[in-house]
Amino acid sequence: MLLAAEHVKKTYHLGRVSVPVLRDASISVREGEWVTIVGSSGSGKSTLLHLLGGLDRADKESGPVLFAGEDLRKFDARRENRYRNHDVGFVFQFYHLLPELTVLENAMLPALVGLSRWRWYSTRSALRARAAELLATCGLSHRLEHRPAELSGGERQRVAITRALINKPRVLLADEPTGNLDIHTGSGILDLLAERHREGLTTVMVTHDAAVAARAQRQVRIVDGCVV
Amino acid sequence: MYAPLLTNRYLTSRIIPLIAAGAVTLCVALVIVVVSVMTGFLDMVRGSGKTLIGDVVVSRSISGIPYYEEFIRDVEALPQAEAASPIVETFGLMQMPYGTGDGGSQIETVQVWGIDPASLDRVADYHSKLYWTKPSPELAKTLAPDDPRLDPMYQRDAEGLALKTRDGQPGLVLGIEISPFNRRTADGTYRTEGDFGTQDAGHFMPNTSGATLTLVPVSDRGSLGGEKKRRFAIVNELQSGVYQIDAQRVLAPLDVVQEMLRLDKAPIVSPTEVDDNGRPKVIGESPARATTIVIKAKPGVSAIALRDAVEVAYKDFALRVAADPSRKVKVPLRAIVATWEERLADLIGPVEKERELMRTLFSIVYVVCAALVLAIFWAIVQEKTRDIGILRAVGASRKGVLWIFLRYGMMIGVVGSALGVLLAWAIISRINDIHAMLGTPAALWLKILAWSAVAGAVAMTVRGARRASALQTVLWLFGTLGLAGVATALLFHRGFLIWDPSVYYFSRIPSEMDWVTAGTTVIGGIIFSIVGASIPAAHAADTDPVQSLRYE
Ligand SMILES: Nc1ncnc2c1ncn2[C@@H]1O[C@H](COP(=O)(O)OP(=O)(O)OP(=O)(O)O)[C@@H](O)[C@H]1O
Ligand SMILES: [Mg+2]
Repeated sequence: MLLAAEHVKKTYHLGRVSVPVLRDASISVREGEWVTIVGSSGSGKSTLLHLLGGLDRADKESGPVLFAGEDLRKFDARRENRYRNHDVGFVFQFYHLLPELTVLENAMLPALVGLSRWRWYSTRSALRARAAELLATCGLSHRLEHRPAELSGGERQRVAITRALINKPRVLLADEPTGNLDIHTGSGILDLLAERHREGLTTVMVTHDAAVAARAQRQVRIVDGCVV
Repeated sequence: MYAPLLTNRYLTSRIIPLIAAGAVTLCVALVIVVVSVMTGFLDMVRGSGKTLIGDVVVSRSISGIPYYEEFIRDVEALPQAEAASPIVETFGLMQMPYGTGDGGSQIETVQVWGIDPASLDRVADYHSKLYWTKPSPELAKTLAPDDPRLDPMYQRDAEGLALKTRDGQPGLVLGIEISPFNRRTADGTYRTEGDFGTQDAGHFMPNTSGATLTLVPVSDRGSLGGEKKRRFAIVNELQSGVYQIDAQRVLAPLDVVQEMLRLDKAPIVSPTEVDDNGRPKVIGESPARATTIVIKAKPGVSAIALRDAVEVAYKDFALRVAADPSRKVKVPLRAIVATWEERLADLIGPVEKERELMRTLFSIVYVVCAALVLAIFWAIVQEKTRDIGILRAVGASRKGVLWIFLRYGMMIGVVGSALGVLLAWAIISRINDIHAMLGTPAALWLKILAWSAVAGAVAMTVRGARRASALQTVLWLFGTLGLAGVATALLFHRGFLIWDPSVYYFSRIPSEMDWVTAGTTVIGGIIFSIVGASIPAAHAADTDPVQSLRYE
């Protein structure tokens, strides 16, 4: 089992009102698998994916999230950063690119973050080449020096996917990568993900679109904060 | 590796860092200018009180200190002392060389100092306090072309320094405010006023027709002797910068005042015995006396250290004289030894209060500026919360994120503060020119320029409106209004002096940059920039990335 959540709970507190979003959610993903999480809007899909990516904290009494048998909650700050940087790649529902960086720099960001200054000087041309090549496979080779604001939604999402893949993570976590795109552009993105999956990348994707979900090997559904 | 890249991008791809640096510049410049000019004033006020008294003053009123020449030799031998000078202080009446206009004569009550000009010049730079002297080249440039001091005839350095007329008669130096006909003008110089067309007609002060000085000797027991009157030429005037001194002080040669007060050298006669000629027999000599000794400290020696040394030296001196049977006169064991600050406590006290008040005001200015800088950085970094969430989500460490904004704040702080120092320096070194410019009506070309700018702005507003550009129209409209305000102000500006030297005592605004303040302000500017940038950054770095990403 590469990535698993066991009986996780997540409650948001809004003043005195507590909103339980995940009551008892379990999911397990094997190496090389493509799993989709489906559920209605507000059911907690993104929340679960964030917990899997180590971007959010589950409740105290929650069960663990395990990556290759390690409990994420036991990570120290260094290991946590490395997990986010290196072990998983995350594609957000709303792109989340840095507006001041170019397309190429955005795509390379996790590599920049992970490298020391010296390693950066010795590997930067190789890195640049890899980022440019990845962007080229998404059809963005003519956009390398543009700013995110100058791109369409589909183009931005492709940059975000490139960013998620630049450090060769073991798991790709994608939160509705096609949610804001038209069918044609969306299927282009899905083709891209499918190809990475064929190359062996473990993928967990959130969607509320049945047609999109159908492309995965396995679907899990969240209802009432529980995985069914 | 990403930190420098992002800092550079944040600094270069937006206009906000420029605004922030501008705010830091203005704040730093404001603090430096205000503090420099105000401390400059306070130092001028405080320092001018020190006029003619050196660092330490030894005084013994009325009967004075006998054998003072010996004491001065003792003092000058001290390692802490540079020079010492004797003074005889008393009160007197001056009959001015002109009448009151109704037949009476103009009498002023004055404070008379008998001085030894040569040694006083070493102790207290007496020469520089004289008004009728050859102006320095810098001063000469600022004087009006008809200022009498530019005429060698009125450059009476030698007479003032010797307290003598050209033909060797003893003369007086009067405080420049004593003669009511001396009027201070807006450029800080003095002009003689009167019914007379010519300047030398009596009212004009370096004056050979002379004035009569009346002194009254006082005995040890407090009884008055007969008054002494003498006529002296007025050889120069004294401008110390302190009204109390300039309106009362009269300087006369030491030996003349000693003689008039009977403090000069005199034989002691026996009340009972007579000599061969049938006169009372001389049994000793009473030495000349001085009521005050002013002492200058060696460079680097504090007034307090000098005072302590002089106190010991005085006691030794008194005991030595007492032990010497050949001396008929004893030196009083006690004299008041005080630093110039102690001596002038009544004059300096209000200034010190003012300084405290200023400090409070400065702190308020400082705090306001610091709060402004903090708030600007806070807003800038707050806006970057989402970016911080993204960085944390791709594995950036807290330290790395913090480092980005630390650099950011530091760069803006350093550049802004450096420009602030430059701006402050430009303003302070030219403050008198700027002030003079405010004091004169605007030049015609300036008015024409301002109104052409208004016309141009109107044209740009119309253009903006015709192109249906709301932003251009609004910006140029405000520009037009602002320029029109300035142009109108220039049109009606008749010139006003905020700092009118005929009212205030100093003729120039202090234009010395206070480098200590500049240094601390720069450090403050940088620190507040860094703190303002790093606190919200640290807060965002500590938040779980998902929470930061939700920030809209
Ligand atoms: N920080 C938060 N504070 C309070 N409530 C939150 C917070 N984040 C999420 N929620 C709530 O948790 C619930 C689940 O949110 P989540 O984003 O996981 O839904 P989702 O299934 O991804 O929905 P969608 O399909 O619309 O993206 C929602 O009701 C949302 O309002
Ligand atoms: Mg969602």
